[in-house]
Amino acid sequence: MAGRVLDAGLDLFDRQLLDKDARLAGKVDDLEFSFPEGGGPPHVTAILAGPGALAGRLGGRLGAWLEGLANRLRDSQERRPARIPFGVVKRIGSCVDLSVAKEELETDRVDAWIGDHVISRIPGARHAPE
Amino acid sequence: MRKVFEIALGILTAIGGFVDIGDIVANTETGARFGMSLAWVVVVGVVGICVFAEMAGRVATVSGRPVFDLVRERLGARVALVNLLASFFITFLTLAAEIGGVALAIELATSVNYLLWIPLVAFLVWFVVWRVKFQVMENVFGLLGLALIVVAVALWRLHPDWGGLIHGATHPAVPKGEGHPTWWYFAIALLGAAMTPYEVFFFSSGAVEDGWTRSDLMVNRANVYIGFPLGGLLSLTLMVMATLFFEPRGIEPGHLSQVALSTALVLGKLGLAVLLVGFFAATFGAALETALSCGYTVAQYFGFQWGKFVRPTEAPRFHLVTLLSIVLGAGLVLSTLDPIKVTEYSIVLSAAALPLTYFPILLVANDPDYMGDKVNSRLGNAIGSLYLALLLVVAVVTIPLMILTKAGS
Repeated sequence: MAGRVLDAGLDLFDRQLLDKDARLAGKVDDLEFSFPEGGGPPHVTAILAGPGALAGRLGGRLGAWLEGLANRLRDSQERRPARIPFGVVKRIGSCVDLSVAKEELETDRVDAWIGDHVISRIPGARHAPE
Repeated sequence: MRKVFEIALGILTAIGGFVDIGDIVANTETGARFGMSLAWVVVVGVVGICVFAEMAGRVATVSGRPVFDLVRERLGARVALVNLLASFFITFLTLAAEIGGVALAIELATSVNYLLWIPLVAFLVWFVVWRVKFQVMENVFGLLGLALIVVAVALWRLHPDWGGLIHGATHPAVPKGEGHPTWWYFAIALLGAAMTPYEVFFFSSGAVEDGWTRSDLMVNRANVYIGFPLGGLLSLTLMVMATLFFEPRGIEPGHLSQVALSTALVLGKLGLAVLLVGFFAATFGAALETALSCGYTVAQYFGFQWGKFVRPTEAPRFHLVTLLSIVLGAGLVLSTLDPIKVTEYSIVLSAAALPLTYFPILLVANDPDYMGDKVNSRLGNAIGSLYLALLLVVAVVTIPLMILTKAGS
């Protein structure tokens, strides 16, 4: 999706992310901007999602605590929130639709970990309720 | 024909699912202390929950977005987080109270101390959340909850002085020996019990779980406008019974067995048995609704996948939050904290937190971006705004009143 002028505060922040199969994939917790060299309005380059990104928005003691938690949950040393490159955004409406599956997103790692290590160990986890 | 059946079933489950431990405790206690003088609050509360549940159901049906999803979007990350913490805490407290309520109902039937039943109850609640299909869960506990109609049967058999009861309800006055602050404190408790926020969290998420589309808006309206008032009538019946049995004798019921006593005296063992089934279904059903609502609110704030319509492995964090809430809720009532006391606090704190839930609903129900042609009518907005003003006043005075009256004692 290219070249649309948006009010990031109104049209993007806190919107629900949906993956290509319409599964819920987090919220637009924060945005990454780049500033064109010749000046002009900044461009959105990525959606930041997950506790690390949310921490920045919250600020204060709670934000600091959440950031610490997010840093612990990350396996890499890099201290940055999980990002979704803006190129995979398919459509922006009352939700933000992505063109990839949620498993491919950096932001899905905590969910995947809890799914693999906790939830799927409980009998019946792989079947829909009857 | 299928639609007719669906609507009828929806109404029945809405009636049976309306009453929970909060309604049982609040209506019985107020009836015992203040007679029918606070019956009007139940009417105010039921109209309020109808107006906002209809909006929440309509918003969820038309936009596919349940309440807490919209709370986040409307209020922003920070304010919505404060809202989440408050709403979650109250819903969690209610969950603990409902688990205690189920255990108390089983104690009445078995004479085995309720504390021993709590772990089993908690396990069963979790098991239903984990394995039973949403629609099955809704229908079974909603229909079983209709057993509470036995209280109305007992009341009818009593041939009470209807004129006196109606006079008491239509001429509200603080009874002699009771202070005004206490009277208002109980009024707030009744309002909190009728309008508990989890009801709209659950109702709106349920609309998504059930896959409601625009053609189901009829079901939404029927559930809310027919089912809820009849459910409210059932909770008023409990108030009438307490007025007849406890108020003249100055008894303040502090246990579920006293609530059951009046019906048992009129209808005997069979009546008691049916009533216990009703108690069980009402509290167990509400335990399910609150447990799920704990998961719904958290997942919808953070945007996690939620719901019973997907496999648990598809919604890991939702199931983790729900499971932990059930375990901790059971732990809270296992600590021998009196479940009735937990209930009292949960409904009063609910009352204080009502604007947090209902303000965003009113906003979104007016937003054509989400609602298209299904935005609120003028009348809906007028009533909604009036209620919001009322709820704001209630929110401001609740905590001072709680301190002033030493929680109504």
